[in-house]
Amino acid sequence: MNLSEETLMAYVDGELDVQTREQVEIALASDPEAARRVAAQRALRSTLRAGFDPVLDEPVPARLLSLVRASGAPATSGKVLPFRAKPVARTPWMQWGSLAASFILGALVWHFASRQYLAGPFTEQHGVIVASGSLARALSEQLASQQEPSAAVQIGVSFRAKGGGYCRTFRLQQSDGAAGLACHEQAGWKVEVLAHPGPSASPQGQYRQAASALPPTVLQAVDEAIAGDPLDAAAEAQARASRWQGK
Amino acid sequence: MPPLSEALRDELVELLPRLRRFARSLAGNMSDADDLVQIALERALARSDQLRDGAPLAGWMFGILRNAWIDEARARARRNRVFAPEELGEQVADPNSAHAEVLPVQQAMGRLSDEQREVVSLVLIEGLSYREAADIVGVPIGTVTSRLARGREALQAMLGGVEQESR
Repeated sequence: MNLSEETLMAYVDGELDVQTREQVEIALASDPEAARRVAAQRALRSTLRAGFDPVLDEPVPARLLSLVRASGAPATSGKVLPFRAKPVARTPWMQWGSLAASFILGALVWHFASRQYLAGPFTEQHGVIVASGSLARALSEQLASQQEPSAAVQIGVSFRAKGGGYCRTFRLQQSDGAAGLACHEQAGWKVEVLAHPGPSASPQGQYRQAASALPPTVLQAVDEAIAGDPLDAAAEAQARASRWQGK
Repeated sequence: MPPLSEALRDELVELLPRLRRFARSLAGNMSDADDLVQIALERALARSDQLRDGAPLAGWMFGILRNAWIDEARARARRNRVFAPEELGEQVADPNSAHAEVLPVQQAMGRLSDEQREVVSLVLIEGLSYREAADIVGVPIGTVTSRLARGREALQAMLGGVEQESR
């Protein structure tokens, strides 16, 4: 197969259909020069993302937020960003400060913007982010006290929220160690907050479920949600046995 | 101006970090970029009757922001590039900047032609497809791919050792 620069570019950019992509991959295996060019293109993409992704973690200026907020019906004073589209029985910890909210959303948007992530551990249901796949399984099944350090998802603390339900913090080994807080609801594990530690995060495998290793936004969310102390190992196992039916 | 539904407002707020990233990659420094986002939001809100719940918001907003950037650049009579290397130098001392220094990749973006920079930003940073980028810029796909190829080539040449950073 003729690996033109244009074909390689389309390959790197995910523009090829499955069949062509596989043909390119087969051809690349025996064409080190083309493989090198692909690596260079990929590196350029990463470099560009690394150069501009930090913008996503900056607080959104108040003037921009207020411009959007003012565009609707008169908002009730003090109401900040609704994180879900349909706030059913909003719990107290949903009232984020606007800066924290924009950071959190920035992190979320980053994840959804990243194509490789679309098939990943989250799904979106009516504006609510719900854990799926390996993340959902880990949240339901994995005990922090017994997990393998190499597990793809590391569970941190589990606790009862003020609303009565169970919540757990988690960290993904992939995705540069994105960390978040998920709370159990009827629909599954709703991701309340997801934060990205940024490109300078500690290398994979360094996380040891220490609460201090969580990004500040996640810690803040835990502080605001938690009722009492985190579950100990026995209570965690008991909660799992009850299938996280807290209320 | 018609009021936006709550769902649309939420969606727009969620989109703000990406709009800011897109604007930054076009305009370079933070204050110009956020001015661009503000202009784009004002225009979008004034035309919000074109929007309805469930319609794809991101592409629409990227398009408005991109056009605002073109207009702003024209309004300045293009005396300088919006994203002149001199301005980048000043940004180093900007205490509001989250970055202590301007990365070489940011400077390199600033040296691309406007036509190359917008497609590089849409495809390589924002992750849009060629089709989506072509619709936003208002050119055929073939034009997107040729600008993208030239933009990449220029960036590779400016950034040199980028290949070694490949994982």
